[in-house]
Amino acid sequence: MVSELSNNGQVLGDDTAASGSDDASTLGPDEAAIYVDGLAKTFGSGEDAVTAVDGVSFAVAPGEVVGLLGPNGAGKTTAIKSILGLVLPDDGTVRVNGIDVHTDPRAAYEYVDAMLEGARNDYWRLTVRENLRYFAAIRGQDPDAVAGRHEELLEQLDLAEKADTAVRDLSRGMKQKVSLASVLAGDISVAFLDEPTLGLDIESSLKLRNELRRLAEERGLTLVISSHDMDVIEDVCDRVVIMNDGQVIVDDTVEDLLAGFETRAYQLTVRGGTDAVLADLRERFDLTDVERTGDRLRFKVAADTETFYRLTDAMEAHSLEVASVETVQPNLAEAFVEMTNGTPETGPVSEEEVSSPAELPMGRSPASDGGGRR
Amino acid sequence: MTTAEGGPSRFREPERTGGYYHLLKAVVYRDLLIWARYPLNAALGIFMGVFFFALMFYGGTLVAGQAFSDSIEGLIVGYFLWTLSIGAYSGIMNDIQSEASWGTLERHFMTPFGFGPVVFAKSIAIVFRSFMTSAVVLVVMLLITGTSLDLNVVTVLPVATLTIAGALGLGLMMGGLSVLYKRISNVANLLQFAFIGLISAPVFDIPWARFLPLAQGSAMLQRAMRDGVQLWEFDPLTVAVLVGTSVCYLALGYAIFGLTTRRARRLGVLGDY
Repeated sequence: MVSELSNNGQVLGDDTAASGSDDASTLGPDEAAIYVDGLAKTFGSGEDAVTAVDGVSFAVAPGEVVGLLGPNGAGKTTAIKSILGLVLPDDGTVRVNGIDVHTDPRAAYEYVDAMLEGARNDYWRLTVRENLRYFAAIRGQDPDAVAGRHEELLEQLDLAEKADTAVRDLSRGMKQKVSLASVLAGDISVAFLDEPTLGLDIESSLKLRNELRRLAEERGLTLVISSHDMDVIEDVCDRVVIMNDGQVIVDDTVEDLLAGFETRAYQLTVRGGTDAVLADLRERFDLTDVERTGDRLRFKVAADTETFYRLTDAMEAHSLEVASVETVQPNLAEAFVEMTNGTPETGPVSEEEVSSPAELPMGRSPASDGGGRR
Repeated sequence: MTTAEGGPSRFREPERTGGYYHLLKAVVYRDLLIWARYPLNAALGIFMGVFFFALMFYGGTLVAGQAFSDSIEGLIVGYFLWTLSIGAYSGIMNDIQSEASWGTLERHFMTPFGFGPVVFAKSIAIVFRSFMTSAVVLVVMLLITGTSLDLNVVTVLPVATLTIAGALGLGLMMGGLSVLYKRISNVANLLQFAFIGLISAPVFDIPWARFLPLAQGSAMLQRAMRDGVQLWEFDPLTVAVLVGTSVCYLALGYAIFGLTTRRARRLGVLGDY
């Protein structure tokens, strides 16, 4: 995958030009379910100033499920709260379903709600059903008129049996689901879910992921799911926006993001390599994790197709016997770590540098070459 | 809905089945539910209200004898208004603080009604609950002392409601400050005792005192409940001062609440606790 920097700061894969990702990124302010342009927020001033969100731009198509990924302190929550108007941004435009959230919040809130505090998003002293009825009412619904829809929602989330139980008496996983249900209790089409699986055990997390995906499809919801749990993003989302240091460093489909990595690294085990041969290979190729056991030499190499052919030619020339060749297929977690802080070159990068794909070192994301920034 | 350019929407319209009535009903019901689901706190609130009055009554009778008994009606009316005011003031302030700590405050911001109407609905819910609890305390006070008062609802209800509107404004102000500064309980609690002075302010001797929160309403409530003065029998200027001060303090409190929550949004601390 080669990439270039968009004029609004997005790193866009040009081999995803026909993908949903690119479609979303080219959506106009009145076409996107969520349109964010140049969002910026700095807390404090002078030497104490902390830039939490720095020129964030992205668009989400109606019905799309997008993961907002980033390490702690990347600016995800501030970005979400700024998008929703809960934090007043310094700059930028945000539209939800074509409505400017900051100039006409009430109209925008007709469509959007958020689960911002995980299990701390509803009233623990009220029952599950009472929570749904209350949050529906403050979102302009007659609780009696939408009672049937609430029952359906409770069934979908396996909460029907606990409908009349106080939330405080439920497990953490159940509480998270009640929070989600209370967000969906109003008739919304766009939802932001901040760390929806935080604190859940693996089983509960897996169940919630499945339910999120199913709900999104069945209800045609546009979802933005913020998490630093890569498995959640990989399982649930169509697309991932990765933030680091308050900036969007990658905006791509999960599929393409992983594809960009999985063909770039190989692990080889060869026999018959001398130190001189190893030195030659090291000089010509990007070898890592080199281990020698007797006459066996094992190493990883970052290589595109052309480099891989050159490597095999070199090994043939050195009469190396190939014992095994494995493709290293990182998951999203590894890709994410490498993009955010896994490379030693962490300095700012110019647009020219990023937009020169031929110069990109192999086995590394274009974004990471930006020093963990754009 | 139309887009910003006025064209037809490509997005699914939300189905609105409710309105302000459902908002108010839900907020009042939720307030009562939460209050009832902390039963010890609810019961202790009423008990302490009665207990302190009983302490004053029996202590005062013991010390001052007949002289105290002669002024008991005024004490009951003043104490009733004090419990009402404290209920409204601390009710809205605690509600805002609790919502922030529960993580639900921000959800009230993100409603199609807007934050203002939701907070207004909360205020009504809290005033309603304050009247309920204070009415219980009032009845017990009347039973303990064997006193009778004129409880003409048509007069007492609007005068008392307008009077505590000022306290509600102060509660909104302190609630807003608590969203911004989080721990302000020392100042907030002190203000409750200031209410005693405001309720007993001599508005007939010091005319400007009637412009203080609670003062004008307190004087009017005394006349209504002790002397049986009806609402329409008050001098129009007196009523105008009550309405004016109540609306002003409520508006001032709400304005400060708006400013502090806006500042909290700018600082990113609206949902912090």
